[in-house]
Amino acid sequence: MGTIRFDGVSKTYRGQREVHALDDVSLTVDEGEFVALLGPSGCGKSTLLNVLAGFEKVSSGKLLFDGATISSPGPDRGVVFQEAALFPWLTVWENVVFGPRVQNLARSLYESRARQLLELVGLTAFADALPVQLSGGMRQRVGIARVLVMNPRALLMDEPFGALDAQTRLSMQQLLLDVWQQLGTTVLFVTHDIDEAILLSDRICVMSARPGRIIKTIPIELARPRSIASLTSPEFVAYKAEIMADIRITAHH
Amino acid sequence: MSSSTERVSLDTGGKRDTVPSWTGVSLVARRGVRQAVLAIVLPLAVVAIWQFAGRGGSLFGGVLPAPDRVFEAWRVWAFGPAGLGLNPYSGTWLANVLFSAERVGKGFLCAILVGVPTGIAIGWNRLSAGALDPTIQLLRPIPITAWLPFSIAVFGIRDIGAIFLISLGAFFPIVLNSAQGARDVERNLIRAALMMGAGRWTVLRRVVLPASLPSIFTGLRIGLGIGWTAVIVAEMVAVKSGLGYVLWDAYYVGRMDVVIADMASIGLLGLVSDLVIVQLERWVLTWRRLQSFQS
Repeated sequence: MGTIRFDGVSKTYRGQREVHALDDVSLTVDEGEFVALLGPSGCGKSTLLNVLAGFEKVSSGKLLFDGATISSPGPDRGVVFQEAALFPWLTVWENVVFGPRVQNLARSLYESRARQLLELVGLTAFADALPVQLSGGMRQRVGIARVLVMNPRALLMDEPFGALDAQTRLSMQQLLLDVWQQLGTTVLFVTHDIDEAILLSDRICVMSARPGRIIKTIPIELARPRSIASLTSPEFVAYKAEIMADIRITAHH
Repeated sequence: MSSSTERVSLDTGGKRDTVPSWTGVSLVARRGVRQAVLAIVLPLAVVAIWQFAGRGGSLFGGVLPAPDRVFEAWRVWAFGPAGLGLNPYSGTWLANVLFSAERVGKGFLCAILVGVPTGIAIGWNRLSAGALDPTIQLLRPIPITAWLPFSIAVFGIRDIGAIFLISLGAFFPIVLNSAQGARDVERNLIRAALMMGAGRWTVLRRVVLPASLPSIFTGLRIGLGIGWTAVIVAEMVAVKSGLGYVLWDAYYVGRMDVVIADMASIGLLGLVSDLVIVQLERWVLTWRRLQSFQS
């Protein structure tokens, strides 16, 4: 469960000038795999996530999630947004249980799980706080918990740590590694941070801009479980050198 | 897991400091007192100068009474014996205030019940925007005073005419601001709700409506102000009770002291009703207040 398949997907935005955000993208993400989409801003990596989430429609090509065509957003694909996108008028707890509540699930089905997840992301003491009273990192942890509570088959993360300071970003990456190593959900993770992509993922798809294409796929064979200590290992540095070389080549094109 | 939670908690430090402490509250209270003193200086000065200029009679060749006479007229109007006597206004202040306030209340409520849903529909749905917005924009420039003959012809000299004018006047700012609020809802909030399994109706009720509330409250405050204008206009012409009726009636019999006391009463009622809305807003939009407190 949680298999993603892009088959020759293109996405064109019509307007005064046509923008080819995605051009003939093919990509398969297997169940439980962690794949990072790495590329400069404007390369279409967010578009790729948005069509998979069901927020936008593909212009051509086939996009399948567990073998079925995607027609609308749904709780089987949990999206974590860059700015967390929490409801500012709801408390942390109400934000976390928003999904099960709007789906009219019985309280007994989600309450203990929601409490465990709040514990997992270290926010039990802040259950009654409003998002505005939290730091950026804490808000993003709520954003992750409210998605995990729905037990999604895939996690779609759109530069979730991009707006955080360096130290907070490290702690969030560690948290995500821990959570993912426990749950084993399929993850598609958009980032422009090379370190982050190597640290977290099983496979990195490097994208180019205009038109948005996947130009290279690099499997990351660092041993699991990983932690932020892996950031300084020689294998890590070797991967980083390889990817930087790739990006430099595309920049010259 | 425990080591990572420790690292994770790095960014929680110092967050509690943003909640105001008790010393902060007393500071706020002191600032409130200072502000109240500051606010009352100008009206006191105006009254004092007016009293000084009008002593020994009145201003503008006897037309404008001095403040002491206005206060005396107001006292009799409010607390004097009602019923028979030479002063027809004696003891009728509260009754007239209630007449006006009730009309404003009813008209304002109608304006909210129609204006907020219409506004949200316009801001949220392109189809209803296309169908409703042009008509609203066409009717909006017509001042409520221009609706008076229409209102009297249709409703007669009755309460409903005044209520019609009030709700019409309050409707436009409410509908426009609700529409603006619904249009400006952050796109990712709607996407997040859809992603979590919310249907369109749920998104409307649980995301678009709360996200529009700050804007809706702006509309309510402007609308209530227009409601008070409308009630006075309507009572001057289209009904036979209330502060607007007394205002015009007192003018005709040359009771300028009552006229000014009436004007001051309208001002006070407008102020008090606005404060009620502001308090309601503070209570409903706590999250919003914390937001601006933070930044």
